Amino acid sequence: MKLIFEKSHPGREGYSLPADGFEEIPLDRCIPEELRGKKRELVEVSEVEVVRHYTRLSKLNYGIEDGLYPLGSCTMKYNPKVGEYLAGLERFVHAHPFSPPELVQGTLELIYELGELLGRITGMEAYTLAPAAGAHGELAGVLIIRKYFEDRGEERTRMLVPDSAHGTNPASSAMAGYRVVELKSNDQGTIDLGELEKAMDSGTAGLMLTNPNTAGMFDPRIDRIAEIVHGRGGLLYYDGANLNATLGILRPGDCGFDVVHLNLHKTFGTPHGGGGPGAGPVGVKEFLRPYLPSPVVEFDGEKYRLRDPGEKSIGMIRSFVANFSVLVKAYAWILSLGPGGLREAAEAAVVNANYLLAKLKDYYRPSYGGFCAHECVLTGRDFKKHGIKTLDIAKRLMDYGYHPPTIYFPHFKPYAEETLMVEPPESEGREVIDDFIAAMIKIAAEAEKDPDLLLEAPGATPIRRTDDVLAVRRPVLHYDDELKLKEEG
Amino acid sequence: MRFIPNTAPIRREMLEAIGVSDFEELIAAIPGGVRFRGELEIPGPLSESELLERVSALASRNRDLAGFKPLVGAGAYRHFVSRVVSALLSREEFYTAYTPYQPELSQGTLQAVFEYQSFLARLTGMEVVIPSIYDGASAAAEAVLMALRLSKKNRVLVSAALHPHYRSTIETYTAPHRTELVEIPCSGGLTDRARLEEALGEETAAVVVQSPNFFGAVESVDELAAPARDHPALFIQAVAESLSLGLLRAPGEMGVDILAGEAQSLGMELNFGGPYNGYLGARKKYLRQLPGRIVGETEDRDGKRCFVMTARAREQDIRREKATSCICTNHGLHILASAIHLALLGTEGLYRTALVNTRAAHYLEEKLVGTGKFERVFDCPFFNEFTLRSLAPMDEVRKKLLDGGFIPPLGLGSYLGEEELAGTALFAVTEIFSRADLDRVTELLGK
Amino acid sequence: MSPEDLLFTREHEWIESGKSPARFGITDYAQGELTDVVYVELPEENAEVSRGDVVGTLESVKATSDFYAPADGKITAVNSELEDSPEKVNQDPYGEGWLYEIEIADPGQLAGLMDYPAYRKYLETGE
Repeated sequence: MKLIFEKSHPGREGYSLPADGFEEIPLDRCIPEELRGKKRELVEVSEVEVVRHYTRLSKLNYGIEDGLYPLGSCTMKYNPKVGEYLAGLERFVHAHPFSPPELVQGTLELIYELGELLGRITGMEAYTLAPAAGAHGELAGVLIIRKYFEDRGEERTRMLVPDSAHGTNPASSAMAGYRVVELKSNDQGTIDLGELEKAMDSGTAGLMLTNPNTAGMFDPRIDRIAEIVHGRGGLLYYDGANLNATLGILRPGDCGFDVVHLNLHKTFGTPHGGGGPGAGPVGVKEFLRPYLPSPVVEFDGEKYRLRDPGEKSIGMIRSFVANFSVLVKAYAWILSLGPGGLREAAEAAVVNANYLLAKLKDYYRPSYGGFCAHECVLTGRDFKKHGIKTLDIAKRLMDYGYHPPTIYFPHFKPYAEETLMVEPPESEGREVIDDFIAAMIKIAAEAEKDPDLLLEAPGATPIRRTDDVLAVRRPVLHYDDELKLKEEG
Repeated sequence: MRFIPNTAPIRREMLEAIGVSDFEELIAAIPGGVRFRGELEIPGPLSESELLERVSALASRNRDLAGFKPLVGAGAYRHFVSRVVSALLSREEFYTAYTPYQPELSQGTLQAVFEYQSFLARLTGMEVVIPSIYDGASAAAEAVLMALRLSKKNRVLVSAALHPHYRSTIETYTAPHRTELVEIPCSGGLTDRARLEEALGEETAAVVVQSPNFFGAVESVDELAAPARDHPALFIQAVAESLSLGLLRAPGEMGVDILAGEAQSLGMELNFGGPYNGYLGARKKYLRQLPGRIVGETEDRDGKRCFVMTARAREQDIRREKATSCICTNHGLHILASAIHLALLGTEGLYRTALVNTRAAHYLEEKLVGTGKFERVFDCPFFNEFTLRSLAPMDEVRKKLLDGGFIPPLGLGSYLGEEELAGTALFAVTEIFSRADLDRVTELLGK
Repeated sequence: MSPEDLLFTREHEWIESGKSPARFGITDYAQGELTDVVYVELPEENAEVSRGDVVGTLESVKATSDFYAPADGKITAVNSELEDSPEKVNQDPYGEGWLYEIEIADPGQLAGLMDYPAYRKYLETGE
């Protein structure tokens, strides 16, 4: 499709400004000439063309309302319309972050209340809603741990991260100044207690754990894991990527976790936005409250206001308070479901995943045996002999009208190879899952009989497979790069 | 529950198909001792109508902010955003989609990101643009971390006129790395070049200067970048008000090595501080040290032009602890907001909006000084924000403006805790203020 | 270069046998696993390295892979051609796709490496 630049025509305009441009004020009196730049050439298009352009672009995308979006670890559930509406209420939208508190009591109250709700859902005692995304929450959480140990004068320089963890865990730990020690999973895909015993020492700050983990397994020894980590003076960090399986069933706070981060854009029904914005609130136990980032929302029984938590705080982690409009949507989602609904969501998600696993395990060998949590990890290992990789299976699914599951993650030995991580969240009905299962079974048959169908896939999408090597070797990162390339022939 | 299609009877049939008698069997792996029993102590479930009432009631505890025009900016600016932006953003294909890992199903998002990168490259004059870091402060912090990696040095000079929230965020991000942050004082509202030159040394990794700076003043960026280049230290410019780029010289033409910007002014509403969207610009040779996602052009199997996320080997999912940042989910939807906003404004609209901003701000500044109730604090060029000293107590100024239906400017004395700024206020004026609005402000404060 | 003249590590790297300075690279199997190499981060010439040090990184579109020093020594040369043509690692891993040359302080440190038949067996059996 043409770029917006290729639709530009001199003189067309897509904006309107009031007639009074204060033109009696000479520009030289505002900004001297030596500080002014040349006029930036963007585009000249009418409003109609802008609307058509981006509407057409939207049709090249696949969204949750188009069909199943079973990306494992991403919890692509339905995003209620009412949340979008509420986040757009004018009194919320036009709140300036430097408004005097008396103007924004409603905004502050919502932030405060959401923190309380999340605390009750996860069994944690204090929340910050500042982090802008899951990984931002991880960074804040690990910085809290770091500051805590610094305060106590304890020199702990290492952080334990299982090999099954998301890449953000080691990356956040490194950003927070820790040396990352990778823990090998056992043959069930969960924490190897022996490995943990060996690695968890007085120079180690703690363990970052996702539970259920990325292999889709509940860790059966979470009680013992907490004992080991705490016994050596460490702290236990909960990565909430997979919280959807646990709502009303298991609260990280009750399992001994000291710090948790949540992904409101996964578990709590807020949209992913094609890559964000989300929100990554961090909850802590009471003893870590003073370390929360600045500012926090405080309630004195009458009024809400922003406050700096004091010198123990890790400081600010962003320009302003929080991703407020995302918080509104999560708040609306929680209240829509209520306590029973949250529990039902977890149950339905876990049933969906196990149903899918039961029906597909004879076609796509699972990484590990037993039941899964809210997502299951299948593999394409057995199709290698037909020259078929998991990537080909994923691409073929597009021809059947599905967004593929997460592929090649998790990736660790011994069994998590050529993985397909499938997460059918609670907002998917049985018929949708049955149809998906049927497509997967067909593809398994095609892989044996007619592998070219997979190798040539997708064919039914706006574009076919892309040349990612060319993109790196010949970087064209904006339109002027492309123009230059054309000029050079 | 209306968001859960599988009813209890359906789930029972599914459990049968799985081969278990009840749900508990599926979660038997969870040790009983840590299980949560009972009911979560949260309200709900609310019907949609009850929910609308409840949240609307919360919103109504805010003042009618649509009518309260802010005379405060300080990193967040109320500009006019066309309904076109919200209407297009509310297309489910955009807002419900995931990060575009599968290019065949995400060309809409990917092309829009590429177009945004193209707009920003022209706006900033930088060779490469990372289209989304969470916001301006986190982008500035990432820029500093990047400079530490590139230079392998550990001292950073920070202008005293950098937004204090950006400064605090840089402190938070660099604390684990024991980075030495040295403040370069201001003179007359601008970063003091002589003091900067004195402070530059062997160990200096980078210099961070904001322009227009926190006091609203436009810095002579090229004159500050020159001594940094000679040392050599990397020069980082922060931009909190990106609309200013529609009028001011491009950072890429002034010797800026890394640009850390906030795009909120380009199509985002205030929303009490977020979500906004940060961006980074840099020289192409630094691409491998940049954090965050970037989109590049390539071809599909049929040779058709298409777009993919590229230079991915810097990112956390591939490089884990050696990644350039932990950032994963960013503020992608707001890339689209800015792309649409900039497409609508176009060449002329961007320029003219920037012009109105600076002229309207100067109009108010001159009017307020003319009342005799305000004095100029600095004598420097400014874009759409300026600092004045009020001869009347700040509380009085605030009260008059609130009563008159305006959000007051930021009182710098109490905010920064600096005595010499006592009684000063940082005003912002954008194109949403009419002449009548500004005359009204003058009247309120001139009495 | 013929694989018969090389020694192999369990990380699928090769080094010239019985020479110093000796050339170092990755094996044909390794380049196949990595897929198209798009960037090579090379060590610095004259760097003193110890056995097991990470001395550089290979990048494909979707993966990265470190490479190591097989013994203590000094880097005497690097294949700077790869900066512009990283694809040579894929096209000719035992020839033009070499990575660096190292002057080996103690040849005895190479004693544990595999010869070509042993490496082929390792590829088949994992042992």
